[in-house]
Amino acid sequence: MSHSKKAEIFNKNEAKVNWHDKALWYVREKRDLSAHKVQGWEYLRELASGIKANVLSNLDEYLIQFEKNAQKNGIKVHWASNAEEHNIIVNNILAEHNAKKVVKSKSMLTEECHLNPYLESKGIEVIDTDLGERIVQLAKESPSHIVLPAIHKTKEEVDILFQEYLGTKPNFGNPEYLTHEARKHLRDKFLKADAAITGVNFAIADTGGFVVCTNEGNADMGAHLAKVHIACMGIEKIIPKEKHLGIFLRLLARSATGQPITTYSSHFNKPATGKEMHIVIVDNGRTEQLSREDFRASLHCIRCGACMNTCPIYRRSGGHSYDATIPGPIGSILSPGMDMKKHSSLPFASTLCGSCSNVCPVKINIHKQLYKWRQVIVKQQKQPLLKNSILKIAGVVLSKPRLYSLSGKSARFILKKAPKFMIYNRLNTWGKARDLPEVKNEIFDEWYKKRTKNG
Amino acid sequence: MGREAILISIRENKPTLLPLPDIDLNAFSEETNLAERFKDNVKLVGGRIKEIALADLDREIKEMFPNAKQIVCELENSSLGNISIFENTDPHDLALIDLAIIKGDLGVAENGSIWISENQFTLRALPFITNDLAIVLSKEAICLHMLNAYELIAQRERNFGLFISGPSKTADIEQCLVIGAQGAMSLTVYVV
Ligand code: SF4
Repeated sequence: MSHSKKAEIFNKNEAKVNWHDKALWYVREKRDLSAHKVQGWEYLRELASGIKANVLSNLDEYLIQFEKNAQKNGIKVHWASNAEEHNIIVNNILAEHNAKKVVKSKSMLTEECHLNPYLESKGIEVIDTDLGERIVQLAKESPSHIVLPAIHKTKEEVDILFQEYLGTKPNFGNPEYLTHEARKHLRDKFLKADAAITGVNFAIADTGGFVVCTNEGNADMGAHLAKVHIACMGIEKIIPKEKHLGIFLRLLARSATGQPITTYSSHFNKPATGKEMHIVIVDNGRTEQLSREDFRASLHCIRCGACMNTCPIYRRSGGHSYDATIPGPIGSILSPGMDMKKHSSLPFASTLCGSCSNVCPVKINIHKQLYKWRQVIVKQQKQPLLKNSILKIAGVVLSKPRLYSLSGKSARFILKKAPKFMIYNRLNTWGKARDLPEVKNEIFDEWYKKRTKNG
Repeated sequence: MGREAILISIRENKPTLLPLPDIDLNAFSEETNLAERFKDNVKLVGGRIKEIALADLDREIKEMFPNAKQIVCELENSSLGNISIFENTDPHDLALIDLAIIKGDLGVAENGSIWISENQFTLRALPFITNDLAIVLSKEAICLHMLNAYELIAQRERNFGLFISGPSKTADIEQCLVIGAQGAMSLTVYVV
């Protein structure tokens, strides 16, 4: 199903869409406040972008260096070309330890590899321990946002879900009660787990260590209690030196939620005595993306989610409408590279307003890449289905399909020139049922005339 | 399969070598009161902070945690601990710990985080599994930002360590901030 169709479903519940829109915009505002407090913020972004560009140009050497240093410290390193290899490696490690109960902290990579269903098919219990992820796991859904996995769920829905699965009392969706009940439930899982799986935020070539960031402490609760810790990472998570963390950690949480840093930024360098630590390094389409000059920079992504929070389409269509592991603007660049046919509608789910590129802490030119994907896709797939969807996609989420399908530039122009209250006030929020005010049309017309005049 | 295939594919597809940027630390320097900034940020991230004389530490902690029964103390200058742990203690046995008291190595003013490492606590699980956590930090040991912090911890023995900023928290239910997710329910910093 195309993005537009799925967005239409999400838009059926208007109150919820409005809430979703506002909640994410609030996170975006917190990001701004937090970023503005940092002396040299723009310079930090530049450095981060420059470091990531260097990483990609020397990735093989950095990975080898990382492996050597990690092994020296007693960490076992594995390599997986694709999702299947990744899942087999993880399962084999678990089998060696006869591990039947596994706790997992947030890892978009293991989502991408569909690790949970694979392990479950081998008779292993996998519990997602991030609260948001546990909520979507119980609801048999996937995360709709990479930092706020359950942002599409209301507290009343969580209340009902927990009554059914955790035996909680009806509580009118009291977040504090629900969170603390989940804490008890997850404590029990941590204490009984045989193995812990975590993601990796940064892997450091010159020390062989890796860093995992959480607010809840779930990665650490899992990793330090279980006898085996498996950390799964994409090849692009490498950074050259430990001191570079000083740049990335200053950017990550501020961009993500507006916090100055995540509660826990844990640095794993050696397994504890008597325990095992494994790292699985995964390609799964990343080297292919590396080969695409125009899209290579998408591998800079540090998964902060800022581009989602700021995206007018994402906020009003919900993460699930993208039908991809990574939704939102960055997902719309990454996903077509993985499966062009399935994800061909995603680069069109954008106004090309450029807000994503403006907030991205590693300065990925997201909106330009979206535009480039459109060109690639239009060239490669000429079937009517697609032509239709080009027109429909913006139309479902925005309100004037004809206007917005003319050219991406037009929409960007309007967003840039229109005063903030016009773009973000409640009446004009992007929404199927809403017409943009006529004045925008005029701005567009005027601009368009001028543009044609000036050639 | 695996390693070789990935490395070959990277070599074939990577762009020509781009330089690693130099970092000009001057761009981040600021005139600021480190202790005040640190204090404000500890509060911002949900922690409590108190400046005290080292001699008053035990009294202060007792006052703050009157109900703490099982206490692990990893400090020499406190006698509050009543549970001893060793490297071979099963970390699962820490599940009922009410309070852990440990030493912090370094505070970071810009974000209120504190570097703590395995060199200061016997079991890695301790600062997470304990119900309440108290960290004692020297007021001399506060730096401005994370780049300074990494310079200062560069020479450490690398096993396990973390920057910790406030108590465990989540906003996963309708964006409502709730303190006390999976890790410690509270963090109190004593600056001495
Ligand atoms: S593309 Fe940039 S803004 Fe979006 S998640 Fe990645 S790092 Fe964050």
